[in-house]
Parts: sequence; C-alpha cells; structure tokens
Amino acid sequence: MNSSKHGGGMGGGMGGGGGMNACYVYPIDPAQVPALDPNPDMIFERGIYMNGSMTMDDGRNVTIWGFTDPAEGGGMGGGGMGGGGGMGGAFPSPPMRVRQGQVVQTRLTVDMMMYHTIHHHGIEPEFRSDGVGHISWDVNGTYTYQWRPAHAGTYFYHCHTNTVLHAEMGMYGALIVDPPEGPGRAFENGPSYDLEVIWAVDEIDSSWHTLSWDAGTCGGDVGLNILNPDYFIISGVDGNQSALTDPRVAVTMNMGQRLLIRYICAGYLPQQIRFGGLTAEVVASDERPLPQSFLTTQINAVSAERYDCIIQPTQAGIYTVEIDIRHWITGQVLGTCTYAHYSHVKRLSCNLKRTINGQSE
Amino acid sequence: MKRRDFLKASSAGFASTLLAGGGFLSWKSRAYATNVALTYYITHGWITQPDGVSVYFRGYSSSSNSLQVPGNSFVVQQGDTVTVTIHNRLTTTHSFKIDEIVDSGPIAGGSSTTVQFQPSTAGSYLFYDGHNEPYGRLVDLHGAMAVMPLGLDNRVYVGSPTFVQQKFWVFNQIDPVWHSNIRNRAIPSTPFTPRYFTINGLSGRPPGAPGHVDPAIDAMHDHETAVHGHVGDRTLLRMLNAGLATHAVHTHGNHMEWLTSNGQIRPVVWLKDIVPLDGNKGVADVIFPFEAPPDAWPPTSTGIYAMHLHDEMTQTAGGGLYMFGALTDIYFE
Ligand SMILES: [Cu+2]
Ligand SMILES: [Cu+2]
Repeated sequence: MNSSKHGGGMGGGMGGGGGMNACYVYPIDPAQVPALDPNPDMIFERGIYMNGSMTMDDGRNVTIWGFTDPAEGGGMGGGGMGGGGGMGGAFPSPPMRVRQGQVVQTRLTVDMMMYHTIHHHGIEPEFRSDGVGHISWDVNGTYTYQWRPAHAGTYFYHCHTNTVLHAEMGMYGALIVDPPEGPGRAFENGPSYDLEVIWAVDEIDSSWHTLSWDAGTCGGDVGLNILNPDYFIISGVDGNQSALTDPRVAVTMNMGQRLLIRYICAGYLPQQIRFGGLTAEVVASDERPLPQSFLTTQINAVSAERYDCIIQPTQAGIYTVEIDIRHWITGQVLGTCTYAHYSHVKRLSCNLKRTINGQSE
Repeated sequence: MKRRDFLKASSAGFASTLLAGGGFLSWKSRAYATNVALTYYITHGWITQPDGVSVYFRGYSSSSNSLQVPGNSFVVQQGDTVTVTIHNRLTTTHSFKIDEIVDSGPIAGGSSTTVQFQPSTAGSYLFYDGHNEPYGRLVDLHGAMAVMPLGLDNRVYVGSPTFVQQKFWVFNQIDPVWHSNIRNRAIPSTPFTPRYFTINGLSGRPPGAPGHVDPAIDAMHDHETAVHGHVGDRTLLRMLNAGLATHAVHTHGNHMEWLTSNGQIRPVVWLKDIVPLDGNKGVADVIFPFEAPPDAWPPTSTGIYAMHLHDEMTQTAGGGLYMFGALTDIYFE
C-alpha cells in the first residue's frame, strides 16, 4: 500500500500524444494484484466508450462517456434497465444484476491511452477491488475487481478516476443485488413487488462535456468547482419532452400491483422527489433495510443516496411525480422533472419539465 | 503558515484538565461536573491553497502570533462550567457564539471578552463568529465543541450506540473573492463560488503531490482527520459544516450508523453510505463501525478506504486538481 508506486503522478511518462499528460493517476502494480477466485458465480465484462452522445430534446448532441458490455456488441442493450443506445454505448451504462452471496468479478478493460476505474458504489469489498485510484490504482489495460455482496438492494457503479468529471460525463450504471429469493423481493425476507423501475436522476452541465479525461488533474482552472446544469435527465432520458413517453422511465401498472421504485440521486446536487400525491412506503436506503419502513409523499436526497420505495396505487389515475434539482448552495430549484404516472390506465409516462433559474423554458 | 506550527504551540493556551494527555479528544468521563477554561486568540493570515494561491483567513488561534483554522475543537461534559476567553487581536469586531448556548456579543478589535456557560444537552456544536454572519464564520472563525453525556465516555447521548473513539470533521468551502472582500471590510456582492474545500482546515494531497503524507497539510494523513482503527474500533464522527454548500458525506469500507441530524436524535438508526450534511451550520453524528468490509471476497479485515464528499465539485481545488479537496482516508489496521 505504501510502495513506490506512490512515488509520483503519472507525469507524461506514457507518452502517446493522445493526451497522456495526466497527473495523479496510478498504474496497476502487478506485485500487489490479489489472486482471483477461480470459480466466480458471475463475471461482468466492461469496456469504455468516450464517443457517446445524447441528443437532447433541443436538438443538441452532448458527449457522453460510459462503460460498454463487449458481449452485447458495442454496449447496446441493457434489458430495459440500461439507458438509451446513443452512438458509442448505452447511457446509463449496462446494468449489473447479481444475487446476494454470489462471488462476482468485474473485468474492466481500458485499451485507450487513458485511465478509468469501476467503483461499485455501496459495495464494500477488499480495498484493491474498490476502484479508488489513490488507494490502489487506476486501470489502463485490464483489471478484475472481485466482490461478494452481502446485502440485497439498489447500488450503482461508476468511474472513480477524476471522478468529478467522469461520473458527470455519464460513467455510471445501475447495480442491483437480488436477495436469495430472487427478483420480486426488495431484500431478504423483505417486501415483495410486481414490477420495478430505476430512476437515476442526474443533471448535466454541457460546458463540462468538451473536456478531456484528464482535465484539471495537473492543475489549471477547468471549472470543475462550478456545476451549472442545463439538462436534467432520468435514467439517460431528457425530461424536457422525451421523458413524456419514453418507456425506459415511464411505468405502466395495474391496480393492485406493487411497484418498486429504485431511486438513485445520480447527480451531485440535492434533489427532492415527490410522488404526485401517492404515498410511497420507503423500505430501504443505501441498500440497507430501514429498521422501520415509513410512508411519505416526498423524499429529500443528496448525491448518491438511494431509496427503495414501494407504491401500490389504490385508485386508477394519472399521477405526476416530480423531482426538483436544487442548487447546492442557494437551494434554488434549478430544474424539475415531472412524470405523469398512470395507474390502471395502460401506461405511466415521464415528463421532465426543465426550468432554469426559476424561468420556465 | 502551517497549521501544525500552531498546534505545537497550542498546549500552553489550553491549560486545562480535560486537555491533559495530548489529543484534544482524549476524554475521561466523570460522575461530576468541573470547570473548563479555554483561550482563543482571533488572528489572521494567509494560507497557501493546493494550487499555490494564497488566501486570507481569520481563525480562533491558540496563540496571538499564529493563525489556526479551524480553532481547536474541544470536548466537555454535560453540566461543566466552560469559561472561554477570547482575545481579539484584529482591528475588526467579532464574537464567539454557539447557537442556543452562548453569545459573547460584539468583541471590538483589540479587546478581550470572557464568556461562561454550562452546556446541558449532549451533542456536537459549532462555535463561530456570530457577528456579521456568515462572513466571519466563512473565513474560518469557527470550531467544534462536543458535549458528552454526564458520566459517559462512549455514547453520543444517553442510550445511543456506543463508540470507542471520536473525531471531529469540520467542513468548509472557500471562495477567495469573498475572503478578499471580507479582508477589505466589504460585503461580498458576487454569488458564493467556492474554489477550495476543506476538512478540518485541510485538503487532500494525493500520492506524488507536494506535501503528500505531511500531516500539516494533507487531510489524508492528518492524525485528527484520517481515521485509524482495527475491526471493532467503532468511531464516532462529529461532522459539522461551517460553509454554505450542502454536502453528501460518503464512506467506503463500511456504512455509517446515522445517529443525529442538526441536533436532533434520529428516531431509528439507519445504516447509510451517504449522509447529508446541510450547509450553514449543518451537523450530523455518525458512527463508523469498523466492521470487516462486508462484501470482501475472500474476507478481510484490513485495508485503506476513502472518505470523500459525493458532491464531487468539493474534490477539486482551483477548478481542477481532483483529490485536492475535502477528503480523507480510513485505515483498517
Ligand atoms: Cu473514468
Ligand atoms: Cu459513488
């Protein structure tokens, strides 16, 4: 842990013209790499894309970075839990789904002249599988993280290299751990659900999206202390118009069904989610069951908090779920996501209405 | 000026039974209340930030010829009589305030004041310059006080889960334009735009950086900030936010037991890997349980894990320099 690999930042040692002028990234120390279990229950392969793009409702293309699943051919897909298939790869990145107690390996390959990691947020593994560069290393080449989840729940995974930039650029995906009973229960001996949705609510400051992967690492003011979002998205869908109808966010449910909302505050700014008058039973947060679940019509969350909420409408109708994204200093509402939530009726859609500085667009 | 220079000089200014034995957090419970005397000197100076920029600060320092930010935190017990003497060595007016406990009122430049109070409720408190709020507090006239329950050395409040060691994590955000305005006795007129982010007055210096491992400037290696323990060394973290930004405190390695929020005991203890810390004097008490990392395969009980704020803008300095912000490390030894 205190070996000479910590003797310096990368400097320009890797050369390569393509922007390897990074500082304070740490190459893998082969002597410190732990042995892997030869019989894992699950292996996830992940690559990197840096050329993704998301077409916003106003017609602009915003560059997105993320993880690919090479087995899915360029990282498309995601079984309904992934995001859209922009050029380059899915956004959000392809989900991971495992069972509590499984031995899992995540094999990350970074074959470009750059560094990334995977931190499985909420998973608390051996430190060399935690994906934190300054403590173990950043990955250029291939590295395999190993972990065995002890708790079911809603996690997410994200890059932890130059995190402030890489996670904002979109380098995250859902990570679901099912209890021993399998999907359909929120956690072991926990409440049941009939259908589920992941709402990973995030903000984008498009002015950050022209930066290079190592922006700011050697110093210089690249503006990473100021996040002024101009887009507000839910699970990779622009809420301005698209989310009105996008099935990745919208939920269709029948009366009597129980919906598990896996809500992830995926941005950096505080949020408030309101369930449109519906009462949600909050059963877990940060993938730990609450000692006492509670009923509420709204939740305040800060960056990276997760809340598992069960909704079981008792009246058919359209419910408007809203999420405010607030300024982290002034508390001013910067944007509001609005979902129209149809129960019994055949669909539930999402309408993310964007306001900037209090002005409706 | 280096923070630790002042800590070395500080013990004389803190002649008091509770501080005997070195660390300001060494603590022995008593079945009785006692008298505690503290002295602070309001001073100012310049502190070099990770990008080399010097920024003006004021602090509750341990001696009149030093600058210390934040002021030394301290631990007392319910019912103690706490006497704090403040010598204002500046020419500007300041105060010493703990919400709902004590307020010195204005302390004019060049003058001294003594306040006395008996804290009655166990918990974590911010002391700060309540004059001309929030500017004195933001330029680092603040520190933390812990009030232990009477006769208990291992609980946050009567009936709370127990701990074996405790630390203060005092966070702040620094907008150098505001600091400059305040130095020039001007009211800041620009939106608060922090460029530096601190924990206990320090910021990170990752491996390879100048100052890495130097406890005087590296928040990952400052002994009051970095957390060291073995499995079972349950650690109380008293988290206080002197600044204006809402934080999301994130520990790797273990979830935290979230005990209090803004002075309120939470009705049930949640296990969280993210705990919100409000801006403007937000407080949260958590216990980091130091359990073997639950998802390690094969199982392990040692390793180094990060603590950082997940509002990741706070991990930067001067608009870049990731890892030179408000973060530290947790050592499973
Ligand atoms: Cu990355
Ligand atoms: Cu995270």
